[in-house]
Amino acid sequence: MPRRYGPFGGSFVPETLVPALHELDRAWREARRDPEFRRELRRLSETLGGRPTPLYFARNLTRRARGAEIWLKREDLVHGGAHKFNNALGQGLLARRMGKPRLIAETGAGQHGVATAMIGATLGLDTEVYMGSVDMERQKPNVERMRLLGAKVIPVTTGARTLKDAINAALRDWIANVRTTHYLLGSAVGPYPFPAIVADFQSVIGREIRTQSVRAFGRLPDLVVACVGGGSNAIGTFRPLLRTKVELLGVEAGGPRGSKGAGSLTSGSPGVLHGSFSYVLQDQDGQVSDTESISAGLDYAGVGPEHAWLKESGRARYIAVHDTDALRAFHWLARDEGILPALEPSHALFAAVAEARKRPSTQHVVVTLSGRGDKDLGVVLGAAR
Amino acid sequence: MRLADALADARSARRRLVVPYLLVDRRRLGRLRGTVEALRDAGATALELGFPFSDPIADGPVLAGAADQALAHGTDWRDLLAAARIASRSLPTAVMTYANPVLRHTLPAGLAALARSGVSGLIVPDLSLEESGPWRSASHRADLALVLLAAPGATPVRIAAIARASRGFLYLVSYYGTTGSAASTGTPDLAPLVRAAREAAPALPVLLGFGIRDRGSAERALRTGVDGVVIGTALEEAIQRDPRPAAVGRWLASVVGPRAG
Repeated sequence: MPRRYGPFGGSFVPETLVPALHELDRAWREARRDPEFRRELRRLSETLGGRPTPLYFARNLTRRARGAEIWLKREDLVHGGAHKFNNALGQGLLARRMGKPRLIAETGAGQHGVATAMIGATLGLDTEVYMGSVDMERQKPNVERMRLLGAKVIPVTTGARTLKDAINAALRDWIANVRTTHYLLGSAVGPYPFPAIVADFQSVIGREIRTQSVRAFGRLPDLVVACVGGGSNAIGTFRPLLRTKVELLGVEAGGPRGSKGAGSLTSGSPGVLHGSFSYVLQDQDGQVSDTESISAGLDYAGVGPEHAWLKESGRARYIAVHDTDALRAFHWLARDEGILPALEPSHALFAAVAEARKRPSTQHVVVTLSGRGDKDLGVVLGAAR
Repeated sequence: MRLADALADARSARRRLVVPYLLVDRRRLGRLRGTVEALRDAGATALELGFPFSDPIADGPVLAGAADQALAHGTDWRDLLAAARIASRSLPTAVMTYANPVLRHTLPAGLAALARSGVSGLIVPDLSLEESGPWRSASHRADLALVLLAAPGATPVRIAAIARASRGFLYLVSYYGTTGSAASTGTPDLAPLVRAAREAAPALPVLLGFGIRDRGSAERALRTGVDGVVIGTALEEAIQRDPRPAAVGRWLASVVGPRAG
């Protein structure tokens, strides 16, 4: 497992955190080789998480696109309603293995917070979740879910009061409480080994796509599409396909038309945010910009370092989709397939339909539907008014 | 005088080393010269000039809030260079800022610009020993002392490696937490860390920072065997109470000066 992806990655953190990162790295490497750990991870993924998730042929959406077949990887059906469970479970088991009685997490859309709260309850670990107060407002149902699951939700009122500020607050908590606390980071960002660990636990998505697509249509897809905020569902989708010929497309949030949006890879430049060297939306002095997106989960100025490398090396392509187009895709999926997607993968859905349109009907496009949309009803109904 | 020489000289003369931290804020540039002179007259050995960063994860609410305010009022890199030119006339000056602003100006060009403005040291709280290689060589070329931080929880082997790689002084963080926060679980035993640093780098001054806020905490810090203290949050609070240079100088003297009467 690399500390770096090309020039990207590394661990730019206060010295106080370094021993904890080393401890985590050791625990994870040992756990990966431990058959007992792998059995437990697999057992809970299946019996608690509901894995494997289906690969669904979206016949009506395909008809709308009039091109390549569109298939959905149904991570919205994972326990809790999003792919975040995969990583929360893995890291929760690591925390227990390291003897840390307390979990902290950041959350944007609330999906990672909910997943961490569930795992905290399952494994008997105290759980506190940092969430920007703006996000708490726009993702209210998830705040209530976390509380019902026994987690404490701590509002973050600094900065733009969204995901970036929640990560700052969680890092500060970790610096003070590092001996008793595991920071259960939810995206493929942060200092090494977090990007590698998160990608490892999320790679189950791409592994299942690999076997399921061969079973469903006899070969690998021509293109896979996933949304990218920090990039955990996308790296989980891409990683098992890196050494194949499958095209990889990551979709960032373009925000409202005419805004700067939240596309670190599409509009940012290399820099250090939250412990790793990657792409960052920033000004000429390296001050990190505020971002804008309808989806709290993609509303982040940084991105995982492995994505930065996949972009620079040309292995994956990244584009941005505007708020209004994501909303259109949300309604398409609702009407065509009877599925309410979260706003985050709605960005990927829009891009997938656009790509399918350009391709012959013999091709197959797989979109990772990373979460379900119940949490977004307030935002979607508000946008319709 | 340069940071490394000034600290080494003061240490040989058995003086306690005092390094106050001032955040660069465009609105305070007018008072900067008077403030630095007052700090020098109150016993400061050198100065840390903080350049605000949007996401200061090692800082508690006071310094993070002050940085937010400074940025909201337009403080930029040119203000840092202007502040450095003013400050370094009165005290040897190190710049403290996070990795990203420096990288944005690129290591060679950014560090050269700091050096030309009179800066002789650099402190980067999110630069770990593992990432410091390119920074150490770039700092050496720019003739800046790259000060590394060590923290409780590190093994003696790690402290020794950090001490050998650090220049100017070793910045020892006194507790688990961000700047200006009270230690929630008591102060860790720092003596073994200080000893490990001394053995690895006998000539390198060791300064304790985080949590020095009054005479009592300064004296407790010095009893751990370090050569001096860095004072940040409490000084920022004093400036917010009364920004006049004379008042700021009196406050520092009350913490580190000779006891009155």
